[in-house]
Amino acid sequence: MTLILILLLSTPLKMADANAEPAAGSSGSNETASQIEPIRMPTIEEMRAQEVWNNCAVKSVASGVMDYKKFRLIVAHFRHKATDVLLAGGGLGLMMGLFLGALDNPITNDTMTGRQQFVFTAKQMGSRSWSSCKTFAVMGLVFSAAECIIEKARAKHDTTNTAFAGCVTGGSMSARGGPKAACIGCAGFATFSVLIEKFFDRHT
Amino acid sequence: MAAPSPIPAGISKEQAFSMAQTEMEYRVELFNKLAQTCFVKCVDKRYKEAELNMGENSCIDRCVSKYWQVNGMVGQLLSAGKPPQ
Repeated sequence: MTLILILLLSTPLKMADANAEPAAGSSGSNETASQIEPIRMPTIEEMRAQEVWNNCAVKSVASGVMDYKKFRLIVAHFRHKATDVLLAGGGLGLMMGLFLGALDNPITNDTMTGRQQFVFTAKQMGSRSWSSCKTFAVMGLVFSAAECIIEKARAKHDTTNTAFAGCVTGGSMSARGGPKAACIGCAGFATFSVLIEKFFDRHT
Repeated sequence: MAAPSPIPAGISKEQAFSMAQTEMEYRVELFNKLAQTCFVKCVDKRYKEAELNMGENSCIDRCVSKYWQVNGMVGQLLSAGKPPQ
């Protein structure tokens, strides 16, 4: 019943002046101009297909898998680029290798003497970044699941959903360090996710 | 909707037709009002994307469910002939 509304809510408001004609007019409004199309009810298959994505579990697993794939692509790209370009001596590869290293290992002592040592460090960073792929995928999964559940419960589309989901994700990721680390992780990740959301909203 | 029911005895064809017409008008009006109410209540006016997101979806679920329940209750009360309290 509600999925009928989904289809119908998205169409009649495009033709805003046609509110007077009956919505259940499956006989169509052919007497009016041809730009108004008769309303088409969704079939059972369409409804079931839409209901699949209405499920939080499906959505969060799909998002986690997508995050994993995306991050793997990024990591592979950077690794490839960093080692290749470092060997050639370019500056961009250096920057990317540095960036990736900073992402993964904030505690390494970078010995920057000599190009070979740097290449070796880059390769180590690359190999360690594969393990962070899994972390990223889990993070994406938890964030997506939390946001989906919170939005479903609140029945509102807001940025506070993102903030709460970020808090849950950050808290759960850094829960091992005790309650203080969980609080800091929560606040930090919530802020980060709200900023990212605002950034994307501005550009779309 | 439900399968068409046979015409009860004692009602002429024109009467049945006019009853069906009234019923159809009532249904259409109900549907339009329901869609309008739940749209105004649940969907934010500043459109960011074409598809309904999860929050709007669950809002519409709840809105329709409540509207339908209230409609059923009020219809029952009115048809039972009791004065509204």
